[in-house]
Order: sequence, then structure tokens, then C-alpha cells
Amino acid sequence: MLRACVFSTWRSHSRKRGLSTAANNTLSPHHSIYVSNSSNPYFNLSLEDWLFRHKNHKEPLLLIYRDVPCVVIGRNQNPWKEVNMVASRTTGVPWIRRRSGGGTVYHDLGNTNFSIHLPRSSFDRHATAQVVLRAVRSLGVDANINDRNDICVGKDKVSGSAYKIVNNRAYHHGTMLISTRLDVLGDLLRSNKPTMETRGVASVRSPVCNLQQYEPSVSHEGFVEAVIDSFRQEYNIEDSTHTVEENVNTLGIDYIHKGMEELPRWDWAFGQTPEFTYNISRTFDWGTVTARIRSKHGIILNCSFELPDGHQSISDDLVQDQSRQLEGQRYGFLDETKEGIQRMMEGPGAEIWQWLKMEMDT
Amino acid sequence: MLSRVRFRRLPGRLSFVSHFHTSYPSWAKVHKTFKLADIGEGITECEVIRWSVNPPDSIAAFDALCEVQSDKASVEITSPFDGTVKELLVKEGEVARVGSGLCIIEVDEEVAVSLEEDAPSASQQNNASSGLQPSEAKPKEQTPFPTKRRPHPLDPNISPEQQLLLLGRNHANVLATPSVRHFAKQKDVELSLLVPGSGKAGRIEKRDIEAYLQIGISATNTNSATSTTSKDDPAEDAIVEFGRTRWNMYRAMTKSLEIPHFGYSTSLDLTVLHEILPIINSHIPRHYLPTSLHPPHTPAFSPSAIYPQPASPDVPSSGHYTKLTYLPILLKTLSKAMLEWPLFRSSITPSTSTSDKPTLTVRPNADISIALSTPTGLYTPTLQRIPSGLTPAEMPKRGGTVTVSNVGGIGAGEGASPVLVPGTGIAIVAIGRAKWIWDVDRGDGSGERRLKVNVSWSADHRVVEGAELVAFIESWRSWVEHPQRLIAEGV
Repeated sequence: MLRACVFSTWRSHSRKRGLSTAANNTLSPHHSIYVSNSSNPYFNLSLEDWLFRHKNHKEPLLLIYRDVPCVVIGRNQNPWKEVNMVASRTTGVPWIRRRSGGGTVYHDLGNTNFSIHLPRSSFDRHATAQVVLRAVRSLGVDANINDRNDICVGKDKVSGSAYKIVNNRAYHHGTMLISTRLDVLGDLLRSNKPTMETRGVASVRSPVCNLQQYEPSVSHEGFVEAVIDSFRQEYNIEDSTHTVEENVNTLGIDYIHKGMEELPRWDWAFGQTPEFTYNISRTFDWGTVTARIRSKHGIILNCSFELPDGHQSISDDLVQDQSRQLEGQRYGFLDETKEGIQRMMEGPGAEIWQWLKMEMDT
Repeated sequence: MLSRVRFRRLPGRLSFVSHFHTSYPSWAKVHKTFKLADIGEGITECEVIRWSVNPPDSIAAFDALCEVQSDKASVEITSPFDGTVKELLVKEGEVARVGSGLCIIEVDEEVAVSLEEDAPSASQQNNASSGLQPSEAKPKEQTPFPTKRRPHPLDPNISPEQQLLLLGRNHANVLATPSVRHFAKQKDVELSLLVPGSGKAGRIEKRDIEAYLQIGISATNTNSATSTTSKDDPAEDAIVEFGRTRWNMYRAMTKSLEIPHFGYSTSLDLTVLHEILPIINSHIPRHYLPTSLHPPHTPAFSPSAIYPQPASPDVPSSGHYTKLTYLPILLKTLSKAMLEWPLFRSSITPSTSTSDKPTLTVRPNADISIALSTPTGLYTPTLQRIPSGLTPAEMPKRGGTVTVSNVGGIGAGEGASPVLVPGTGIAIVAIGRAKWIWDVDRGDGSGERRLKVNVSWSADHRVVEGAELVAFIESWRSWVEHPQRLIAEGV
């Protein structure tokens, strides 16, 4: 008797809030709760943007997703400042520029991302943070919100947030550290360029920790359920949860497809970098050289050199020539097929040239 | 609508007025500074990240203009106007303070030349009352007119109240839980109008929103209209602002001068209806009665004894009533006449170009607007197919083709000249107060006591001929004076 009761309750629960998958049909942006089964960050970011632009702007929407290891920088950040390019290359962990503002975060499968979309007029970042906070607290963690609207446990951040606002719609999305590799996070986000000054938004460094450190039973699935419940309660949503697969159908959606292509392209990834200056010095056998590079939108605007007094091996003309060659080049991606550049690489200024290249690759 | 000014709209009549305002449009190129509007959330400045346009690009309203960033929020700003980008005031990478200019856009604006002229002049008033476009007079001043488009939420030129209505920012002093905020958004209610609420510390609760919806429109409009009088010396003139609905009425009536009206009055004999009404009222179907009036106990012999009766339709409480009056029956019979007369189910097709020949749009159903005089002003909601009990949310947006004004409820009027306004249909009727009179034409020559009500019609003479209106009214009369015909419908 008891078992039958439990069974029927479970049945009705799932009927009311069951899962439905758009397996064979085209995915619709008109549902309210989406959970992505893809862990491809390019797909998930594009999916998020597609839902943001195509859902009825008066209705709330929730999207939850996880990514394979990657670093995600804010829309207006400087990747050279935020990302340790060497570590990124050696570990094979890519970095991606997202469309919302804010700082840099590290994603891996131990981190769950939430994204709450609302009409602009009723969007309130504190209210949306509360929705997620309630979910975390319901899992048994004594979390709270700091004055930057991030969810913390004690002094440690467990979540970072960012926002995007357009004409009639806005979203608050953020991370939730459940069981992330904090050591990998530390390496990748430690770029150590104190003399690189950027106009854009700098990340605010904070100590972080995983939820599992406070409550070992917390899991991705548990967090997903808790956020969905909290979201349903807050906005009176009765729609069932929709899972999204990365497959022929969803990849076939033009907007998503184009978004995924745009994200890794130079124009978006590097070309959106705000203006920055980088002052570097290097001591060679013959003296110390200081270079001041100015770049905007990923292009070198100019590079001026300061040479030691009484230098002989390097002439002023050569240095001027080097400056000229650098102007207009993509920072970090010098066009080595250009004749002028090749000259630089081989001539007496080769040392300087190699050094600059190395600095720009870091 | 009952005209309270002593304007008679029959052609050839003189009107007495001391000031006469007309306006006609002309175009001018205007430079508008688009300012960084308040993004909300206490943000005072933003960095401009990227401009999507450069002078002298042309831009359309809602095209991407620029992207700004504040704190952790990336904001996409679109253009509020159609026009040409003239100058960018903040460079990429620079910070713009909220309220400062972002860029200058050159816009083609419709500027209404507002004309003022003093003293009555017979010939000019005649021109007006014959219904043609108000004639030109010397322009004395030029006043810019707001553009007809709904303002862009970030348009800095709209008043704070309008902006509040459009953006609905959450102020720090508007206390409400997120679910209440969401409910308010669903119901399209501006929360700051409800401050303070009935909850703890002035918090706005869901019941405040529901109560607000019941009232309809906030009382702030009437407050603004009366506020200036209290301070003044009673012996002196007091200046009072137009409340919103009265201002709308003012503007609508000014526009009504475009319509050539003609009138026709007659009286309808309600005696038969008078006899029928009590019988109808004692047999109101149970599902229309408010639940408090349902019979307290089931009858001894119930028709549902062997098998349940078909379930009665579910009628919301707004559809309940206790007594039927003449007005609903007059409306119903009017709709019957309108079904016989396609002309009175039509309205002039709204068109954007005035040079095209106008057409009439005939509707399949009878849409009647009712004039409602409320404490906050005059409204004309529309009834479609005369259902029972509409709430404001259910009212259709389109005006009816015929408007009914039941002024008899207010005063014992015997004649009226209602005024048509563009958008309220092609005919309007004012129904007076029914009274008993001695009709010498009836009976065997000695006459009879009959209940009559005066109805005064005005119609748009561009669309309706005099004879057509009279014939239509006779159709209506035949339903009202012979309500037995309604039985034939059931049979």
C-alpha cells in the first residue's frame, strides 16, 4: 500500500514537472526552464544568447549549463591581462570572451552556471541573486550575498555574476563552484602583468572555494534541482523543464550556429579588447631596453622604445623602423610573412624582436 | 458624449468662442541630444565600450547605437529616433555619466504650428462647423508637438512619470517581494504608484495590486487637478491643471471638429418593456446571481432528482447581477438593429495617407461603446456582442461603431446633442430619462399613459445620410417597442 502511494506521487510529480526533450523537433525558445546537456562552452554561450533574444521578453526564463574546462572573460576585458596564455596553451584549456560584462571566471564540470532572463523593467540583480541564494541555502550551506552581489560562504566566493541588458530584456548569469579544480583555476587566471594597464574592467580578485567544502553532499544535479525549484517558486512557473542537446537540430539553428562561429574568431576574441598600454623592460648584454606598446581593439597602435645611453649595437634608425613595422599589426599575431618583419627578425635588432614576440605571447 | 460646451454642430449655426486653437503639421530638422539614461540599480556612470555607428550614418529607431558597461553589466543601447548621427559625444573607452549626452542625432520632426486667434468671427466659425479642416489664421506661435510614436524607454525628453511608466524602475523606497513585483509586472501595474503598501514597513502586497486594479486608474490625476485651488484666496481666480482624462477629452473634442455632425431626436415607447422587466428580474438564471443570493436550501422537489442537470456555465463574479435595467435591453435591441444595418456596424478605415479615398470597414458583429462618467473622467469602453460583466482587462481596444451615452441616469434631460470624436464610431446616441406621459395618439382617441424615453442621435454626415439614420432608428424602435420579437428568436 505504501509503495503504491509513493509510486503514484512520483508519477504525478513527474507528469506535472516532467522533462521533455526536443529530440526530433526544432528547439523552441518559448519554454521557461532549460537545462543544457552539452558541455561545449561555445554552444552553451550561443544557446544562452539565442534564448535571450528570442524568448517573449515579458516572461522569465532559466538556463542551466556546465562546460568542459575553459576560461571565460568578460565582454570588455583584456585577455592578455586576465589569462595566463602560456598556461592556457600548455594545458589546452581555451579562453572565451562572453557577451555579458564583468570579470574572468574558470569553468569546468565541477562548476554549474545559471542564467536568469527577465523583462528589463522588472530586472533586479539583487532579487535574482536571492533566487540562487535560496537554492544554495536549501542544500544546507550557510551562504550569503556580499556587497558586490556575489554569493559567498563566509569570506570565500562560491559564485561570480555578470549581467547583460538590452532594450526590453536583461539577464543575470553566474557560476557556482561545486567541485571545481581550484588549483587549475589559480594557474590559468594568474597572468602577472602589473605593467599592463587596461581601460576595460579589471577582475576583482577574491578567494574562492567549492560548496562541497562546506557540504559534501552538494552535487551538480542537486544544485540544478534546487535552482529550478527556487525559480519556479519565485516566478510562479509551471512549465516543465526542457533539456537541450547539442545535436543536428540545435546546431542547425542559424543564430546559434553563427554565434558559435563568431566566438573563437579573432574579431570577437581579440578584436574587442579595449585600449591598453604595456610597459616592459629587458636587459640585454649591451643594455636595458624599455618598450611601451599601445594597443586598441587588438591592433598595435604604436610601440616606442627607450634605449640605453651610448648604445652602439642598436641604431636609432633601426629602432624607429621596428616601431613602424609593429604599427597596425595584430598584437600577439605578427604577420611574419611581411618582408619588413622578416628583416626585423634577422637583423641586428633580432634580440629585441624575439623578446617582444615572447612578451606578446604570454 | 454629451457636449458641455454650448456648441451645436448643425451646419450654418454660429458658435461663440473667445479663443480658438487649431494646429496643422509641418516638418523641421531638429538636432536631438541623446543622453545616457538611468540604467537603474544605482549606477551613475558607464564606460562606452563600442559605437555601432559613426557620423554621418543614418539610423532607425531601435537600431543598435552603442554598448556601455557599468560594473558587471554590459548594456546595449538602441537609438530612440530615426535620423542621422551627427556627432558622438563620448569616445570609446571614455566614461559617460548618467544624464550626460552620448551623441547627437538629427531628426525630422513633425512640428505642430499652434495657432491662436482672438474674438469670435462669424465667417470663420461657420467654416469650422461645416466640418472642413480648420481654416488657416495667422500663426502667432510655434510649439513643438510630441511625436506620435510611443517614446523609447531611454528617450531623455519624456517626463519622469512617462519614463517611470515605460521603464518601471524599482526605486529603493518601493518595498515589495520579487514575487509581488513579478505579479505587478504581469498585471501591468506600476509599483511606485502603490507606495506605501499594506504590508510590513509599507511593503506592497499582492492584495494592494488587486485592489488597485479594481479601482482602475490611480487617484493621482484627480489630485493634481484639485491641488492648486486650496492655497489660493477664495476671492481670486484659481488656475487648475487639466487632469489626464479631461485633457484627453479636450484634445479629442478638438479633433471632433473635423466631423460634420447632424442630429435627430425621437422618443421610444418603453411601456411594453416596463411590463416585462419585473418578470425577467424575478427569473434571473442562478448562475448570474451573486452567490450570496443563491437560495439557501434546495427545493423539496428538485429537477436533478434522477439525473444531474447540465452544469451551469461558470460566470465570474464580475458577471453577476441582481436586477436588469432598461439599458441592457436597449443595448441588445440596438445590436439587433445594427445587425440588420451593416452601415452602423462600420467605421472609417484608419489610413495613414489622407489622399487615398476613404473606405468603410464593416464588422461582422455589433460593437457598441458605452460612455462612462467616473470620478476620474470620461471613458468609453467597448462591448462586443454585449456579454455580461467585463473587467477592464477584458475590454477590447478598438472603439465601437456606435456609442451610447446614458445621461438619463444622471439628470432628467429631454434633449441632447452628443458629440462624435474620431475613433468613437459613426453615430452616437444620448438616452434621456424615461418618464410617463399622456400619449393622445393611442387608445381609442382619449389617449393612454405611456412610458417614453427621449433618444438624441448624432451621426457622421460624411458616412451616414439623414434618411438612413432615421430608418435605422425605426428598426431599433421596432425591437424596443415590440420586444415580443425577441421571443421569436428563441422559438
